Amino acid sequence: MERLALRFLRRADSICDRLYTQEFNPLYQSGTIVVALYLVLLVTGLWLLLFYRVGSPWESVARVTADPWTGNWVRGLHRYASDAAVIATAIHAFRMFAQGRSWGPRVLAWVTGCLLLLLTFICGWTGFVMVWDTFGLLLAQAGARMLDTLPVLSEPTSRAFTGEQPLPMAFFFLNLFAHIGIPLAIGAMFWLHLHRLARPRLLPPRRVAWTVTGVLAAAAIVRPLVMAPKANPLLLPQDVPADLFLAFWIPIVDVVGSRNALGIATILGVALLVLPRFTARPDARSNASSVDEQLCVGCNQCALDCPYGAIAMVDREGRGSPLVARVDPSLCVSCGICAGSCPPMGVGPPERTGRDQMSRVRRFAVEPGRRAGEIVVICCDHSSTLFAPALAAAGAAPYAVDCAGNLHTSVIELLIRSGAGGVLVLACPARDCWHREGPKWLVERVYHGREAELQARVSPARVRIEHVNSGDRARAIELLRAFARDVAGLDRPSVDDGLVEEAECAVAGEVEV
Amino acid sequence: MSALDRTIGLAAAVAATAAIVWASNAPMTVHGSKQGMLRLAWSVRPERVEVCREQSPEELAKLPQHMRQPLVCEGTSARYRLTVRREGDLVVDRMLHGGGVRQDRRLYVFEELPLALAQTSIEVRLDRIDDATTRPSPRGNQVVAVESVPPHLSLSQRVSVEPRHVLLVTYSPERRTLVVVDDSSGR
Repeated sequence: MERLALRFLRRADSICDRLYTQEFNPLYQSGTIVVALYLVLLVTGLWLLLFYRVGSPWESVARVTADPWTGNWVRGLHRYASDAAVIATAIHAFRMFAQGRSWGPRVLAWVTGCLLLLLTFICGWTGFVMVWDTFGLLLAQAGARMLDTLPVLSEPTSRAFTGEQPLPMAFFFLNLFAHIGIPLAIGAMFWLHLHRLARPRLLPPRRVAWTVTGVLAAAAIVRPLVMAPKANPLLLPQDVPADLFLAFWIPIVDVVGSRNALGIATILGVALLVLPRFTARPDARSNASSVDEQLCVGCNQCALDCPYGAIAMVDREGRGSPLVARVDPSLCVSCGICAGSCPPMGVGPPERTGRDQMSRVRRFAVEPGRRAGEIVVICCDHSSTLFAPALAAAGAAPYAVDCAGNLHTSVIELLIRSGAGGVLVLACPARDCWHREGPKWLVERVYHGREAELQARVSPARVRIEHVNSGDRARAIELLRAFARDVAGLDRPSVDDGLVEEAECAVAGEVEV
Repeated sequence: MSALDRTIGLAAAVAATAAIVWASNAPMTVHGSKQGMLRLAWSVRPERVEVCREQSPEELAKLPQHMRQPLVCEGTSARYRLTVRREGDLVVDRMLHGGGVRQDRRLYVFEELPLALAQTSIEVRLDRIDDATTRPSPRGNQVVAVESVPPHLSLSQRVSVEPRHVLLVTYSPERRTLVVVDDSSGR
């Protein structure tokens, strides 16, 4: 199921990359777009609150809706932003599920994400009931009937909406209280959702945030909201202008009944919570990074680079640097970014530390068929590895790595010194790294001298980092050809025979062992 | 990015926004038919039926000072039978009891039935099933009934409703009888 979802996601990513560029692809930004829309909802909600009257809910909303300058479009934006938030949340959840970023140490984010979705629905429910039009009444009656199926209340809540008595003002006050209180709970849940991330990126690029807000505001102006008739429990509405994003369940309740609908919703909710448990890849916790304390120089770089805050510097017991890195396995998602950040190669997940990477690349360097001057393309397993055969057919030597972000720069250096004409790293788009910050740190290490940097003795012209998603086969070939053309203009690469010999010895030694 | 891609991207964004706007105000048919509806909705406190017993001096002596009540009563709420006939046909026949785990809370009636637009005769009855005489009375004990709603409520009437209007039958505590409310003008 996860693989099928991933295939679909890759296709969608590829299309959106082409139409909106990697930087502004809204699918990569789905999580941050939700936060941006949440802010829009807060601002517009506070504005609308100024005009809302619990004593005359429908009349006060009707007055706001009738004002085209400061009322109607604000209300429209509030409505459309809440709908867009539901869509963006669904896309974000789908993305996390498809990419297997939903279980193991990431379970807290998944569970709180599901709760955020539930809170959004409840908040939407209270928002529509606030208006107290025919749609609000419909939601109130359907919600009350579902609540009444639970054997917890001695008197059914449905009786409030039968027309037997006028609805008390206290109801609207409580509803308003909930509509203000739930967003506060959503804010707290956001905090919990991002709790395990280091440097969480809350907002999308400014251009994306303003574009989304502007488009929704334009929609609110072009298609102004129209007030539905006032709720009257003694009149059955024929057609109600319904919000399908937040009220899609009403027709289902009509068909299966309130009790069954609640049962189905509960089962689906629980299934959503535990689904990744059954579809996710083997638990990353067993592959958590570890630190070789003899190699650790206490430089703090791995702790700085870890995207999940799983590494802390602690006092060293014994000789050596005053501090030593320590990994918390319960927070480590085994992304391996620490392996790329450690100059002495003393940290990383099992078989993926800098030293493991070096012994692997040494074997690669002396493989039969390696040609001096060829282009080596380092492909990230989450994207470009998928079209490694096409890259090989185009004359390059593809070299797959788990994540471009945990690539140690010494690997690049070794490839160049062993005779490669150039090294092209095809990393994931910066906003779509499965490990959040892999391409960002790689670019910093290769181009900007971040610790564990690419040594100055390596010609920067022979190294290039590009970002492609898993559907960008044609673009990857294009990038390869462009890089090959540029490298062809350089001097013939010099082969460090000593290094090759060393590599051959190391490989021979490994074989003997 | 080519101009064609840019145009397609813009068109896709406009289409997605239009879809959001449409789905945000989609017409949902709630009541397709033009029928009316008969709604029974009221809440009353059911009659309390209690079996009371005088405690003997020995029993009282065993109790702490502040708990020495000469008369102790245990009881429950009476059950009722709700029947609704439409054109003489029995359409609802339900046993009702008070709410709550001990069934000692208020009794709540809520039924909705479709109603033809033509004149229809309806008959609604709420009859008490349990009363003081139906409870077993141990020797020397008193059975006490505390009435709060008449033991028999009935409403028999020919009614007609407008399309999609709700005819509400409810209990009037002032008149202590069932009444019909047809107030579709809004409250």
